[in-house]
Amino acid sequence: MNFDFVLYLVINTLVVIAISPLFVSLIKKVKAWTQGRQGPSVFQTYFTLIKLLKKEVIYSPNSSRIMRITPLVTMAAILVAALFVPLVFVPEPVGGIGNIILFLYLLALARFFMALAGLDAGSSFGGMGSSREMSISAIIEPTTIIVFAALAFVFKTTNIFDMFTLTTTPGSPATPTLILIGISLFIILVVETSRIPVDNPETHLELTMIHEGMILEQSGKNLALMELSAAVKMTVLMALLINLIVPFGLTTTLTLAGILFAVIVFILKGSILAGIIGLFESSMAKRRFFQLPSLFAMAFFFSTLIIIIEVFS
Amino acid sequence: MIVVLFLVALLALFFGTIFPLLAVSLDKRIVRTISLSAIIVASILLGSVSLILLYYGEPVFFTLYKPLPAISLSFTIDRLASFFLFIISVVSACVAIYFTEYVEHLTGSTRRNLVCGCTNLFILAMALVVTSANTLTFFLFWELMAASSFLLVTYEYTHDETRKAGIFYFVMTQLSSLFVLLGIIVLYVVSGSFALSPLPDASTPLVTVAFLALFIGFSIKAGVIPFHKWLPYAHPASPSPVSALMSGVMLKCSVYGLLRFLLDVFTPDLWWGVLILAAGTASALLGIIYALKEHDVKGMLAYSSIENIGIIFTGIGLAVIFTASHLPLLATLSLLGALFHSANHAMFKSLLFLTAGSVVSATHTRNIEQMGGLAHRMPVTSALFFVGAVSIAALPPLNGFASEIMIFTAFFSSVAVVDPLFKVLLFICLALFALTSALSAACFVKAFGSIFLALPRSPGSAAAKEVPRAMLIGPGILAAVCILLGVFALQIFAFVGFAVPLPDMLLVSLLLLGMIGLTYGVLYFTASRTVRVSETWGCGTLSQQALAEYSGHGFSEPLDVIFSAIYRTRITNKRTFFDQKNCIFKEGTGEIRLLKVFEEYLYRPVAQQSMRVAKSVSRFQNGCLDTYLLYVFVTVIALIVFLGGFA
Repeated sequence: MNFDFVLYLVINTLVVIAISPLFVSLIKKVKAWTQGRQGPSVFQTYFTLIKLLKKEVIYSPNSSRIMRITPLVTMAAILVAALFVPLVFVPEPVGGIGNIILFLYLLALARFFMALAGLDAGSSFGGMGSSREMSISAIIEPTTIIVFAALAFVFKTTNIFDMFTLTTTPGSPATPTLILIGISLFIILVVETSRIPVDNPETHLELTMIHEGMILEQSGKNLALMELSAAVKMTVLMALLINLIVPFGLTTTLTLAGILFAVIVFILKGSILAGIIGLFESSMAKRRFFQLPSLFAMAFFFSTLIIIIEVFS
Repeated sequence: MIVVLFLVALLALFFGTIFPLLAVSLDKRIVRTISLSAIIVASILLGSVSLILLYYGEPVFFTLYKPLPAISLSFTIDRLASFFLFIISVVSACVAIYFTEYVEHLTGSTRRNLVCGCTNLFILAMALVVTSANTLTFFLFWELMAASSFLLVTYEYTHDETRKAGIFYFVMTQLSSLFVLLGIIVLYVVSGSFALSPLPDASTPLVTVAFLALFIGFSIKAGVIPFHKWLPYAHPASPSPVSALMSGVMLKCSVYGLLRFLLDVFTPDLWWGVLILAAGTASALLGIIYALKEHDVKGMLAYSSIENIGIIFTGIGLAVIFTASHLPLLATLSLLGALFHSANHAMFKSLLFLTAGSVVSATHTRNIEQMGGLAHRMPVTSALFFVGAVSIAALPPLNGFASEIMIFTAFFSSVAVVDPLFKVLLFICLALFALTSALSAACFVKAFGSIFLALPRSPGSAAAKEVPRAMLIGPGILAAVCILLGVFALQIFAFVGFAVPLPDMLLVSLLLLGMIGLTYGVLYFTASRTVRVSETWGCGTLSQQALAEYSGHGFSEPLDVIFSAIYRTRITNKRTFFDQKNCIFKEGTGEIRLLKVFEEYLYRPVAQQSMRVAKSVSRFQNGCLDTYLLYVFVTVIALIVFLGGFA
């Protein structure tokens, strides 16, 4: 492990933690505007997190150690997964960091713990959330893996770092394929981050909630960790989409000016994508739970199409 | 030297078999402990033999008994055999440690001595199956394995369901032996010897028949769908350590058999690979879908074994396809993936069966809906089960993930396969494979959540106590092996001399630990440290009720509805009312029934046909001496005519 890589670990983690709450607030802001409201400040998520850190933690008497370690494990798994997607600076991959399958399964690790924590307190809301989350994640999995396989197929590598390096060099894969992959990745982004039409992140109504139901029992700093990890997860998936489709600004050499420029460009690109997500959410209603499989089947068909086009072209 | 060690291990197992038989009337704990200690000693010896051979790779060959030039009882231990020997030794040792305590909780006084002896015999048979040097020896010990496992399954023969399960298992396992024997005979016809050596000509119809027969034989024993039905019957019926051995090791013996014949005897065609891949994918997916629906903890684990065998067969199928497409690197990768998953499945499935056995003996129920709250009552067992659940759900950095990512990588690299139609087929199998692994995560969230978390849902569960130490040590070793095999996967492969494109799981684990430490540290200094324990808000109810929790049924309900076409659920609802307008409810019955598709449409018709044939054959067997004399007479005449015609 060389010095560049260690520096990359530090930079990527700091950037992703610092930026992700901003994108969450931006989406809320855009949604508020489309509803004709002013909406909270774009820094509101930061304030909420700081407020939560100051609050006490409350555990249910029924809950076990799972409840206590879940926030830490979830945060750690998501942060390690974040290391797999370079936001601003792409170093040489070391020891399989950047493997796209491992990336997917680190997200699954976080989800596994979250779902168990949802069951731990014995409240029916948590159980409902866990059950729905695991079901949805299971039926979206074929689509996700096909999209990732298509990525590996197009770029001839399973490493995200190499994919990014390839997109920054001229002569990268043709635009039509990338647009198709972009659309599929967008669907995965919406599903994985529990957004409309799959889940509603705003509500605490038991009939609609999935992700919010699972973390209903969390409080204080644990809740802050869960909220932050959800934000980081969204930013990482956004970064995967952005840096593949619009690699502009991504640097492969380590200079201070380059990094700063890349950070600014990334914030701009991310804000635009956050705006698109906000508009997308505002233009849709949440689907009924059992209508979701047909939605996913559509996404699956779409991503299979990419592969078939690639195979026969 | 190696041969001596191996023979000493066999002698130890033989002693372990004979000793409780000699002391059968002596209902003492010491008899059983000595018999089970023989397994531990033998396992240590077998384990060291296999490790030495795995590292140096020089095969060892020896003959025990040779009555005729063509027929001999001989053994060879090469790398493949020693790999499976390693699996057998680790699992057997841990199961034996666990069994020393568990056997004392079983009912049936001196019968318990026999079960110890039989376990020795079972392990002896399995060790000899994987080291057999020719097909005849292989079949001999294959039958010994089948017979001894049947005795173990029917341990609690006084229960009706155990007897039924035993018969079911016996019929299926004999069917498997029949097909294996058919394959061996056809191979003898083709090659003229019982040796496990490459066939002279590649693909004649006879060779294909031999492959199909062997494939069906091994599939039945491995529990590949549609031959899987014996697993969910036999596992709940047998004692937990026996289930652990059968699921962890015996299923691997059929994987070994298939691999041995594919690698050493046949030159596989492409379509054989497609067949194995299709069978594997179907078993993996249907296995886990049925496991989700199962609420008997051991039945659930049995279905999950079907799923994992499916994953292993997927790897083997890929290896065959890649070999036939002349892609040796990818073939090696998928073959190593299949082998590594065999080892991993042996470890975590035995771990899960043993801990499930502890839970069942503590709560006196197998129904996960009646458990709950055991994380407080059985903290160590719950931690061990948790390790198994994380492994089997293929989550990094444990071992289940390490082997699945190899198969995933092989799938991702299948771009190199030339035929576009095969590419599409492989991508579809990849999608189903991913679905399988995500469903198994859902299944084990449900299992762990229902068994260990929240409030106890029955008095048995509320009164549960942690099990004695020996029942923790055995699974404890397996849990440690699960963690080590996962974290050091890359290093282990480098050590035995394979460069596999695995991510460095050690680095990932260190990063995970580092991030946990970092998060904890930052929170420790910035956040409030006040912690309070207080009742969960339950929408205004005074206190939380166990029955108001989300149950296992409820948890899997969304997936039940989504996969309702596969479950073939029939919901019947009969109601009667007091008035004509059906307003005032009088009484009613409701029922949700699962159609047992394979049993109703495959097993029952086959069984009925065989009964019909048996009935017409039994007419010749009328019990009258004169008739039998007539048969003898007719046979003699026929023989004379036959021989005369040829001479």
